[in-house]
Amino acid sequence: MTHDTVVIGAGLAGLAAALRLAEEGRRVLVVAKGVGSTHLAPATIDVLGFDGEAVESPAQALPQFAAAHPGHPYERLSVELIAASIEWFKSRLPLSGFRGGLEENVVLPTAVGAAKPSALVPETMVGGDLRAGGPFLFVGLGLKDFYPAYLAGNLAGSGVQARAIELAPPLGRETDVGSVGFARRFEQPAFREAIVRELAGRLEPEERVGFPAVLGIRQAAEVWRELETRLERPVFEVATLPPSVSGIRLFEEMTAALRRAGGRIVIGQTVVGAETADGRVEAVVAEAAARTATFRARSFVLASGGFAAGGVELNSYGKIREAIFDLALAGAATNGRPRFLPTYLEEQPLDRVGVPVDDRLRPTDAEGRPRYENLHAAGATLAGAVPWREASGNGLSLATGYAAAGAILEGDS
Amino acid sequence: MAALETEVLVIGGGSTGAGVVRDAAMRGLKTVLVERKDLADGTTGRYHGLLHSGGRYAVKDPEAARECIVENVILRRIASDCIEDTGGLFVSTPWDDPAFGDVFREGCRATGVPVEEIPVAEALRSEPRLNPEISRAFSVPDAALDPWKLVWGCARSAQEHGAQILLYHRVVGLERDGQRVSGAAIRNDLTGEDLRIHADVVVNAAGAWAGQIAELAGCRVNVLPGKGIMIAMNHRLVNTVVNRCKMPADGDILVPIRTVSVIGTTDVRVADPDDLEVTQSEIDEMLDEGEKLVPGFREARALRAWAGARPLFSPEEVADTREVSRSHALLDHRERDGVEGLVTITGGKTTTFRLMAEVAVDAACAQLGVERACRTHEEPLPDSEDGHFYSLGSRLHAREPVPQSEELICECELITRHRLEEAMERRHTANLDDLRRTLRLGMGPCQGGFCSYRAAGILHAVERLDHRAASAALLSFLQERWKGVHPILYGDQMRQARLDDWIFQGLLRVQHLPT
Repeated sequence: MTHDTVVIGAGLAGLAAALRLAEEGRRVLVVAKGVGSTHLAPATIDVLGFDGEAVESPAQALPQFAAAHPGHPYERLSVELIAASIEWFKSRLPLSGFRGGLEENVVLPTAVGAAKPSALVPETMVGGDLRAGGPFLFVGLGLKDFYPAYLAGNLAGSGVQARAIELAPPLGRETDVGSVGFARRFEQPAFREAIVRELAGRLEPEERVGFPAVLGIRQAAEVWRELETRLERPVFEVATLPPSVSGIRLFEEMTAALRRAGGRIVIGQTVVGAETADGRVEAVVAEAAARTATFRARSFVLASGGFAAGGVELNSYGKIREAIFDLALAGAATNGRPRFLPTYLEEQPLDRVGVPVDDRLRPTDAEGRPRYENLHAAGATLAGAVPWREASGNGLSLATGYAAAGAILEGDS
Repeated sequence: MAALETEVLVIGGGSTGAGVVRDAAMRGLKTVLVERKDLADGTTGRYHGLLHSGGRYAVKDPEAARECIVENVILRRIASDCIEDTGGLFVSTPWDDPAFGDVFREGCRATGVPVEEIPVAEALRSEPRLNPEISRAFSVPDAALDPWKLVWGCARSAQEHGAQILLYHRVVGLERDGQRVSGAAIRNDLTGEDLRIHADVVVNAAGAWAGQIAELAGCRVNVLPGKGIMIAMNHRLVNTVVNRCKMPADGDILVPIRTVSVIGTTDVRVADPDDLEVTQSEIDEMLDEGEKLVPGFREARALRAWAGARPLFSPEEVADTREVSRSHALLDHRERDGVEGLVTITGGKTTTFRLMAEVAVDAACAQLGVERACRTHEEPLPDSEDGHFYSLGSRLHAREPVPQSEELICECELITRHRLEEAMERRHTANLDDLRRTLRLGMGPCQGGFCSYRAAGILHAVERLDHRAASAALLSFLQERWKGVHPILYGDQMRQARLDDWIFQGLLRVQHLPT
């Protein structure tokens, strides 16, 4: 069976491109070696959180940011397009109830109590907006991936009124319960009842209550609303270490929307190569358990991620390589020498390495010409960004996934 | 200023100093040990973890080989819990002259190192990842030795015998009373407080730093720091210590220890034992040599690289530190320099630490004018009383029957919350790297990616730390982890490091913590 578009990668970029194409009636297949970065990162859509200083308004900061960072993916995207991607995304994911937009960043506490600006956040997190000023109460559940006293200490150190308490919720005989285990328990009424009962009488007036982001998976909206109602105050989630429960919700909602729109998704097949002819990609070849599969399509979206996901590789000789098409790479600051600097928190020479693209997000060769006419790239595969430092990860993935789909749709018409 | 009186002051908390403090305390001497950082923070904690059979020195340095096999036998008896009895192989790869095997075997026999040539097929059966082109294989009683367990075992034993151990206490001066060293001026680097320790005799066990200490008393000790780099590979690529059967050179040993295997090493003379850089060319040399022992070595995941400074004592100036004997040096400064009350013990290696301690304490006793017999070769270290060797599966074995009984804070090294909290309470430290040396926290594949935040949060609670101190602990641990990771970042470890970037810089935003 031939598809209109094959998307490689099931992270936010790949899913956004696939969903937009499927909505427009295209036959779309997503092929991924596993679930994507959604399961590792919180579901906040960070468009631009830091440009040296914290960014208050991405809409205002983006033009100057793009101009100051040649080769950054945002150089290829207009603010209007990024704004459109956000509005589209909000409207497609009603369950997550995304709040916010490009005009001003919400500022959420991280699990260590640092402040992180995000353009768009799930409704379950918005109550933690530090701009509201507190007072905040952070609730520990004994989860080993969340330390509310340390979090509150750092917030208090930044002048935010915050404190913490530890609850001992009933976990049965199990003790090493992780985020997903807590999320499942929160979907049980008896567990919520125990939490509410333990909190009763311990809340100060006006206090907003923050939990680790484990308030349910499929019924998160109901769990969160019930807690707000019963505690009679804003309740919010704080993202913490992977696995990311909020990201799992995002993945579930996006893949459900994709299937409803007629898209297909195949997880567990690793795309390892391609068949190409006359400057076009004809098919990609994937390895599954004990066989290979060939997927043909009219166009392709490469959303295989950066170094973390294995979309870009570094070998022991210091050679960097795009893993599937052996595309040209850009963004290495020192021509590969030294590969790394001794100070951890400095920007590293390979941080911006990725695939360079043209205005239609097609990977380009050394001369700046599109390598394949019908191959587009999106997400962390792209060169030029340091999303974990800029706080631009999901924003970049969403906007470039949306834009790659747009380029394919335009090319068709 | 606070002051302490003691009979013996030991300077240096590596294996030698820990051996000396135990030996002196067991002989009934009032003893204090000062270490400028943590126990086994220097050379001892930065070596490959080989308990030498002596085979490595059998041809080149017979005296060192003899010492090694004698001490190897003793340590198996007194420090069994620190030892994994892996056995050792010397193999002739296509790059090695097979005829050296005969010289090697003769050298072993002459020095008392048990050796047996085994069929190549047998060696390959027991170590299937070994280069199938090897032409000869010899079996020797090499083993893996956990340096942290060893040093802490000695320290605990010394404390049980009444010794006092002062960590993060730096010697800033040695006090002379005429021709006699009468004590030391000490700075507590954690509190900034000064301390004077009056001692009847000072044992300088500062290893590669022994020259610096001796100089404080006006004595010249020519210690040549010889830099050796090592790489810890994820997984046990081999389960037997594997050596190349040739004259000792760079990158010719692969030691399986705990959850990793360590390839080493180099030997480069350096000026300052505190300034050890791991260069790209040294890494490449280790990886290329690793390929000769285990084909596919470069494709395997490397976890971490580091360098240690061997304390090589030389009576004269030499250019190549590999030419200096690995045997130890005892310098009695009363006889040598006319300075009483000071003994220097340096050179040597962790395998012979006990012997070094014995001769140093003998010399100290002579200066004190007392005669007490050494007992360290007879009395086992704490946790080694039952004579059982450590086995790789022991942590898993302890946990497996009740897998959900307790939270794992460091999944890589199977460290439970209880164990971590207990170590924090015992050590009273605000330094996660101290806990790493105690528990192996953060030493597995993710190199602290998951446990660093957890440990900082638990430290904040258990030690009732100020949030700034907890953040400082977290940030310095991340920097310490990066120091060893960045020289070997490629392949899967690069993926891991980028995930860790996303966690610490993207998700937690530790770079924006209030300070």
